[in-house]
Amino acid sequence: MKRYILALCLLACSAAVVAQNKGYLTGSFETNDHFYFDDEKTGAMTGDDRFGSNNYLKLDYYNGKFSAGMQIEGYLPSTVGYPKELSGINLSNLYATWKDDDFSVTAGTFYDQFGSGLLFRSWEDRALGLNNAVMGARFTYNYKDIVAFKALWGLPRFGMGIFTNNTKSPQTVTNTSTQVRGADVSFAISNLVGWTDTYLAVEASALNRFEPVSVDILDEGGKASTFGWSGRANFESHGFFAKAEYVDGGTRYISNPDPKDGDWYLDKRANAQLIEAGYNGRGLGVTLTGRRLEWMKSEIISGNMSTSNMMNYIPAMCTQYTYMLTTHHPYTAQVGSAIGNFVNSGEIGGQIDAFYNFRRGTAIGGKRGMKVHANFSTYYAIAEEGTCKAGNLLFRDFSFDVEKQWTKKFKMVLLYSLQQYNESYGARPEYMTQNIAVADLLYKWTSTFSTRLELQYLQTKEDKKDWMAALLEVSFAPHWSIFGSDMYNHGSSKIHYYNFGVSYAKSRTRVALGYGRYKAGYICSGGVCRVVPAYTGANLSITTSF
Amino acid sequence: MRTFLLSIALFISAVCAAQVPSVKVENSKGEAFDTKALLEEGTPMIISFWSTSCKPCIRELDAVYDALPDWKDEADFRVVAVSTDDSRLLAKAKSFAEGRGWGEDFVLLFDKNQDFMRAMNVSVVPHVFVVDGKGKVVYSHTSYVPGNEVELFDAIKKCLK
Repeated sequence: MKRYILALCLLACSAAVVAQNKGYLTGSFETNDHFYFDDEKTGAMTGDDRFGSNNYLKLDYYNGKFSAGMQIEGYLPSTVGYPKELSGINLSNLYATWKDDDFSVTAGTFYDQFGSGLLFRSWEDRALGLNNAVMGARFTYNYKDIVAFKALWGLPRFGMGIFTNNTKSPQTVTNTSTQVRGADVSFAISNLVGWTDTYLAVEASALNRFEPVSVDILDEGGKASTFGWSGRANFESHGFFAKAEYVDGGTRYISNPDPKDGDWYLDKRANAQLIEAGYNGRGLGVTLTGRRLEWMKSEIISGNMSTSNMMNYIPAMCTQYTYMLTTHHPYTAQVGSAIGNFVNSGEIGGQIDAFYNFRRGTAIGGKRGMKVHANFSTYYAIAEEGTCKAGNLLFRDFSFDVEKQWTKKFKMVLLYSLQQYNESYGARPEYMTQNIAVADLLYKWTSTFSTRLELQYLQTKEDKKDWMAALLEVSFAPHWSIFGSDMYNHGSSKIHYYNFGVSYAKSRTRVALGYGRYKAGYICSGGVCRVVPAYTGANLSITTSF
Repeated sequence: MRTFLLSIALFISAVCAAQVPSVKVENSKGEAFDTKALLEEGTPMIISFWSTSCKPCIRELDAVYDALPDWKDEADFRVVAVSTDDSRLLAKAKSFAEGRGWGEDFVLLFDKNQDFMRAMNVSVVPHVFVVDGKGKVVYSHTSYVPGNEVELFDAIKKCLK
């Protein structure tokens, strides 16, 4: 309790000191509560506790150039599948910032990233249970709109954060002694020379990571301090754009799956290359992405297997679906692994995304226009370390969707997706194939009463064979929405995964109550996934802000 | 406990209505954009936080896009669509917005590290704000069901009274 009082007093004093202009307070509260039941059909067990509750209270105070804030988190206990190190109540974030026209200084916790995040990213994703906010200091400086510079130092958060006493067992580590120090600079050449229609910038980052390492690693020449860097270029002109990034992530020490002569660790050079190019204009949007990764996993605590143990951002670069049957086998990027006698240094692949808007009044667009989208993404294991040789297929997806507003009241989305995935993570040249079709139909009966129906089918000869699913959502604007859905595996297990619920939203508050049976699988957010076990139960979610 | 409650009371008593904070985001060209520049025109605006994987967000912005020609006949205001997609989907979000025609009528901003989203205390998307000509938040709503856009325009009209 003392630390919460301290934090609030700090914020209150800050507010009082600068209260001549008063400033303003803003904040949010979120709670996600589950109540679990045993379910013989799916094997879902309630365990020691039938209850899971994740809670977040965030407060921010702004007054001119000054701001300060805090976040308190409570896991009482955490919901199923959440990282185990998140438990209890704790002050997780506390910061104060001074932001002037051309510089800013932050002390306390902050989120930031260099480039695309391949080298370094600190962020929060509550769906994943991930929050690696850095506790330290950050300085930023801008020279006109030409140079942007930032430097930071701090301890990335793991578990409940730096305000926790680290007295628990190694299995439930609650914070870390790992430190990061880094700098990032962006130089906008186009602004320097005065180009108005073209943007060209070059950027660079450097990151030093320090973690006390084991004697074994030191004996083999390893170091506690590692250095990584990245170089980038961004270009945009008349709708055409291109972006390139090269990352040298520094040395990684990987447990040797086949140790000989006491050679317990393999030292590997982390590196990544990312290219994006495309065109946006005249209703057309096309993006081509290529990426190659080798040993790019960057951990806060070396060797810890938690999904929240990451200090950089390596998402799957493919479509992230939200329809029920399209998410059974999401792809997760392969960042290098050595398991048994299979060593895969990473992945290589790419995707192309194309969007087009057939305008109103055209032959295809009709009276209300029509939108189409296609995506193709394909990723391979790296056949030979240090090269661009593609090995076994890891994942491939082709999807096409069309969206058409037929009348003022009726809108339709049709989606087809062909997904192929390798269950052996590239160890063997084998993959499963599934075809998925979705129809999403929205009908507005009146200006405030609407229904939405989803019909879905998944066809596959492998795994659990065919699935079908349906969802009906009835909405009464502006406050109420009711839904019911069922996902049925008629090809194999004959299990129904039903789900129904109601939500009420008013102003900044939303309350949702539901009950359902959930299959074991993945929860993905931002291209990063975590495994969740099967569970059956009721859930309550409240979000509000002020 | 008394100190705790006093701290909260002191904190809340020292504040007034929320505004749009100064945060660095990106524009469509990839240039840095300070959100305080949104206030320079002095006209009301709708600020809508969305992402490419949020279907209700897309439905809401489409509804606003469809209604905009009629709304503009009655009121002078702007629509600011803030993508909360991170660097993974940043390029896709730009192509997506172009492919829906939003670039023609909306101010498109890209908040790839969710700094603006955090500063506005947006927990989940969709989340919309109506900001008056002086930069004060006068209306806010989370989630979307078809028909919610009517409330948005009502809030804009109140700003102009």
